[in-house]
Amino acid sequence: MGDDLRFEGTRVAVEAGDTVASALYRSGVRTFTRSLKYHRRRGPYCLTGDCPNCLVNVDGEPGVRACTTVASPGQVVRREAGWPSPDHDLLNVTDHLHPLMPVSFYSKTFIRPRSAWRWAERVIRRATGIGRLPMGRAPRLRPATTLHADVLVVGGGVAGLAAAAEAASDGRRVVVVDEGRLGEKPWDPVTIERIESLAASARAAGAEILERHTAVGLYEGPFVPVVGPDETLHVEAGRVIAATGAVEAHAVFPGNDLPGVFLARGAARLAGRHGVAPGRRAALVTTTDEGASTASVLRDAGMEVEAIEGSVVAAEGRRRVRAVVVDTVTGPRRIACDTLVLSLGWAPRDALLRMGTDDEVLGAGDVVIPGCSIEAAEESGRRAARGQTDPPVDAPIVPFASDGYVCLCEDVSLHDLERSWAEGWRSSEILKRYTTTTMGPCQGAVCGRLLASFAGARADAVATRGTRTTARPPARPLALEDLAAGVDEVIERRTSLHERHLELGGRPIHSGAWMRPSTFGDVREEIRSVRERVGLMDVGTLAKFLVAGRDAEELLDRILPTRVRGLAPGRSRYAIVLSEAGYVVDDGLIAALGDGRFFLCTTSGGAASMEAWLRDRIDRWALHAHLLDQTSELGAILVAGPTARSVLERLTEDDVSATTLPHMAHARITVAGVRCRALRVGFVGELGFELHHPRSRGPELYDALLEAGRTEGVQPFGLDALDVLRLEKGHIYLGQDTLPDDHPEKLGLSWAVDGDKEDFVGKHALERMFAIPPERKLVGLRIEGAPARGIPLSSGGRVVGRVTSAARSDAVGATVGLGWLRGNDGTFPTDLRAGDAVARVVPTPFYDPEGERLRV
Amino acid sequence: MSLAIPCPRCGPRPFEEFSFGGELRALSSPDAEGDFVRVYLRENAPGPQAERWFHAYGCRRWVTVVRDTATNRIVPGG
Repeated sequence: MGDDLRFEGTRVAVEAGDTVASALYRSGVRTFTRSLKYHRRRGPYCLTGDCPNCLVNVDGEPGVRACTTVASPGQVVRREAGWPSPDHDLLNVTDHLHPLMPVSFYSKTFIRPRSAWRWAERVIRRATGIGRLPMGRAPRLRPATTLHADVLVVGGGVAGLAAAAEAASDGRRVVVVDEGRLGEKPWDPVTIERIESLAASARAAGAEILERHTAVGLYEGPFVPVVGPDETLHVEAGRVIAATGAVEAHAVFPGNDLPGVFLARGAARLAGRHGVAPGRRAALVTTTDEGASTASVLRDAGMEVEAIEGSVVAAEGRRRVRAVVVDTVTGPRRIACDTLVLSLGWAPRDALLRMGTDDEVLGAGDVVIPGCSIEAAEESGRRAARGQTDPPVDAPIVPFASDGYVCLCEDVSLHDLERSWAEGWRSSEILKRYTTTTMGPCQGAVCGRLLASFAGARADAVATRGTRTTARPPARPLALEDLAAGVDEVIERRTSLHERHLELGGRPIHSGAWMRPSTFGDVREEIRSVRERVGLMDVGTLAKFLVAGRDAEELLDRILPTRVRGLAPGRSRYAIVLSEAGYVVDDGLIAALGDGRFFLCTTSGGAASMEAWLRDRIDRWALHAHLLDQTSELGAILVAGPTARSVLERLTEDDVSATTLPHMAHARITVAGVRCRALRVGFVGELGFELHHPRSRGPELYDALLEAGRTEGVQPFGLDALDVLRLEKGHIYLGQDTLPDDHPEKLGLSWAVDGDKEDFVGKHALERMFAIPPERKLVGLRIEGAPARGIPLSSGGRVVGRVTSAARSDAVGATVGLGWLRGNDGTFPTDLRAGDAVARVVPTPFYDPEGERLRV
Repeated sequence: MSLAIPCPRCGPRPFEEFSFGGELRALSSPDAEGDFVRVYLRENAPGPQAERWFHAYGCRRWVTVVRDTATNRIVPGG
């Protein structure tokens, strides 16, 4: 008995060609699921993957369409909806209460008292829904592949394959995708034979046919995401031919969702392909040419079939269909039966076609000519391959009976729509949003046209209110992990010292794209070491650019608000970078290297935009300047603290004294055998050397510094310590202390703008803005309380600003911070509260205001 | 969603390789009023628009292309 699948503790035999639905149906299962809200019994209806009536859990995955899933031995299938079981569902009580429950009943009812929702939601969440997410299962990481094709054909039926064969015969690259296996859906031998022969000629002409690949959307380009069994394809196609066929028309009448009601092609497929008779006695209500052949295939399967022309008034029965009432030309007739088969026309499966905004999206076959013959489908496909298409033929809607379910996925009945209309929701788009019609797994494949027709037929609707709601992806159900294909790879940049940091107990955190240590254990000790002894920090993440070429100086001088011309080789200068609008976008250090070359060192996060921006200017000003991004090739270690020099002196024979290498100077020196560019900088407010070195030499340089500094008590420090050290000096973090529209005056950085310069990027904008008193500015704060970043600053009960940075400073002996203040005509409030704590505006830097500790 | 940018060095490449640099604007303007318009105001009109794209994941150079913003198509030779 190895050929069985497991179904809720029983074994179900699987025969060749079976789907999960056909195997279960053969074994006697009739109720496959329960409806979303009213827990009505549902069973196979379309058998083409279009409706939600056979969703089951297969091997732990919820919401699987049983009718399009191949049955395989060992599969574990269970039904999920219904409590305690799908066969005996006590929650079916809601079906009896349905007349009392308008759309949005729960949120209307449990709105008061407000505390009611908390428990009501818990109950409602359990009572609704059709499956449980597999919690704790690791998502499958699926790759995404881009595929280029001249022609993408969606749908491997007669029309699609004819289009593929025709297009491939002129040497174009053609890809056909079909959500199932070719020839799997039709049941009549003529169609199957035609599909096989067309597939053979398409393949022979070079077309690639991908089975079990579902096109889930269509975007401009055209661009089509296709979900396959193991991957997601991003198809960039020159032309898309949608040969997606048609669903049979869904009819609305009381009992239209009872198990035993089938769309004709579904019933025929069950009988003709799988040899499973849908029941014993069928009433076949038909208005199409296919009716006769459906009747014969059902009879061949041993069913008694009564074919009737007319409109269905109602289907009767509780657990399944027992009888059907049909309005015929001779008057209403009641027919006892256990199966109702409907062949009432077609609803084009036109979701992709309607998403297409390009000329290159064409329809072929049933989707444009619903119910067309095999010959017509083939001809339509060949025409589409040549770029011709027919205007879609309108398929008539089956008139509504007195009630019944319009939307099977979301359990919305005709009565619900009427009531919502009476409440004032009077267009198809707004009805859709209010009632969630078309918003379920089928995405309107079954009900979309019915909703539009409902709204369009109302006397009090304006013309546009009855239009089809906008088609949007996904056109077919898909898993979130399919959408996430290819995005699981997080780019994580590491410096060459990453392993060293881990060995030293550093705690790495994400800082932009980089991994950087936040601390090595004791932040206060790290701060103290920098203030009193010496600390080491990996600053290799800084953006580093070499600017060379005849016009390098001109380039930087025209860009930066500080004077670059005349900057002596061996000297460097702090610079802010302004946008054309005068806003501060970056800051850093500009160092003159001699020979007209410059080294530009800016913030870690701004490397990419800085490079793009510099290249834009080089290009547009047509300057002779070269830019080399050295961010990745150079590492950098900051050695800072009162004893930094004595540590360095132990490792170098070069002169690093205050006379040769004073504050804001730089030089080429060799430290522990590693050639470095040493920049005297002061971001942390102490004697500091930034040693820029070849990335590969980083670990040995770091080790040597740690070893040489042992007697001084050298201490590595991380981002947390840096945050306090720079704050004590009043240095801002761009992005944390600033807003996107901050000009230098608001930040207290006017000193970094050389007003005498003839021109620089943003100069005109600054002149305009400097003429107006700033409405807000960044100030230094002393706070009589615990530090808290982000809390509001208030004055006289009015919120006037916000704290952007705050920390307890041992060096200052107080809580210090930076924050925004909103002013009035250039005057700013002084008596402040930061949250509940008293705060005072004080000048910055808080620590060593004269900068004496830097100039040693 | 899908757009190929013609890079003069690399050929047509998917737009995801580029970063968008906005409308092509003059580099300077003769007076303050003109500068205000140049810096702060955008046409943002439907139709052909000259714009800058930076080939960040390619040759790292800038490209000026004309794109029809209404159809999201590159205007050849624009």
